[in-house]
Amino acid sequence: MPKDNFELIIYALSFIFIAYMLVSLFYLYVAVGESLGQVAGVLLDTRVLGALTISASSAFIVGGLAVAVSVPVAYFMTFKQFKGKETLEILLVDMPQTFPPVTEGLVYLLMLGRFGLAYTFAAVIIAKFYVAAPFTLSFLTRRYREIAGTGYDVVARSLGADTKHLLNWVILPLSARDLLAGFSLTWARAMGELAATLIFAGAVPWRTEIIPTLVYLTSKDAPAIAMAASVIAETLSIGALLSFRWIAGGRKWLT
Amino acid sequence: MAHLRVEGLFKSYDTRKVIDNLSLSVNAHETLVIMGASGCGKTTLLLLILGAIRPDKGIIIIKDKIVNDLPIEKREVSYVPQDFSLFPHLTVYGNISFGLRVRNYEEKEKDRIVHSLLEAIDLRGLSERKPNELSGGQKQRVALARALAVCPSLLLLDEPLSSVDEATKEDVKKNLRKTLIEMKVTTICVAHDPEDAFALGDRIAVMHGGRIVQCDTPSRLLAEPKDNMVRRLIAPMYVLSKNH
Repeated sequence: MPKDNFELIIYALSFIFIAYMLVSLFYLYVAVGESLGQVAGVLLDTRVLGALTISASSAFIVGGLAVAVSVPVAYFMTFKQFKGKETLEILLVDMPQTFPPVTEGLVYLLMLGRFGLAYTFAAVIIAKFYVAAPFTLSFLTRRYREIAGTGYDVVARSLGADTKHLLNWVILPLSARDLLAGFSLTWARAMGELAATLIFAGAVPWRTEIIPTLVYLTSKDAPAIAMAASVIAETLSIGALLSFRWIAGGRKWLT
Repeated sequence: MAHLRVEGLFKSYDTRKVIDNLSLSVNAHETLVIMGASGCGKTTLLLLILGAIRPDKGIIIIKDKIVNDLPIEKREVSYVPQDFSLFPHLTVYGNISFGLRVRNYEEKEKDRIVHSLLEAIDLRGLSERKPNELSGGQKQRVALARALAVCPSLLLLDEPLSSVDEATKEDVKKNLRKTLIEMKVTTICVAHDPEDAFALGDRIAVMHGGRIVQCDTPSRLLAEPKDNMVRRLIAPMYVLSKNH
């Protein structure tokens, strides 16, 4: 029970927010339930399966690339001191998360389209990577800084460790959970990316069409397909995110 | 011949001078304790000698070689920080053998060194424990063994007794002194407690305002403190020496 009226207001606002978020997340299942027959009929539609395959595979590739790139870049951003570091960090981590993806898609189209990369699977990866990779970089940079703050790096170096030893034997083992958490968010963000991919990669079925573009293109004329694609993607995202967190949290279910 | 020489060292952070024209020398196999009030630059001095930070001016010479431009990992200087910084993901064995792994020691040789050190610090049977399963005193001994395993040219200890609980502090202190003498390792130890400084040091350097004010044996320091600041700093030792 709330202790006073002020706490009551805090509780009420919290409940409104929580309800808004959860309804937004789960209403899709209610809608699918209402049109179950139609949705079930197109669940294994070849276009839906194609979009799902491209979405999931590209998201995994983006997650893997984000890890491969973030491990050294986070090291650079943590241990290298240079002027303009804070500004660079804003440009690398914050901007991609707030920059209009549609504009980014246009930038890639203008910049890389001339090399024949537009409307290819590589374009899907490139478009998603810019938007999603900063999650992993952000997680890792924060963790590396915590490690540097404890002085483990100085001790390891005083024992003769070079950068390779330091990274492989100290920093990475201590960052494993953050790496996985960053990967999971990158994966989820890559699964949901629409605008940049649509502009730069288009929506060629079984090549560049992903779940979000399929939903966008069919929501008016073939809503059953849009709902089937959405419910698969949402279920997969929730399942994957919880699984990654379960592993990252030491194999304990979240409370 | 001095094992370590520091000459005309300066270090500032922004406009604040932390080390101000500091010179000092440490003889081979000697334990020099740096003592002084908080913020007088003791830890900064250790980090400069270690190579974790660079001096603005001055030279650091270890075994007749200027090491200013050598990175930490090439200086052969082991460091035990105040909180010991034991790697939490490694066992006691993993921590102690860390420097030996870096140097590609053979398994057999690594085993021999680690087990002899475990024996020396009286922690046999705890080799598979993780740091979070150790007491403050045990952590201190593991950190010391880890630092000594690589046979450093110089050992730096930053407040080695500050994280040790009072109940075991006396024993830990005695064991630390005994280990340093037995291992014959040249050591610089930072301590703010005069009792610790007098128990551990062959000589004590009193630091104030980024400089060494006086550097003497414990008995000379007690007999002839250079000024009132030094006298105040070691005042508890006058009481203790009268009581004994």
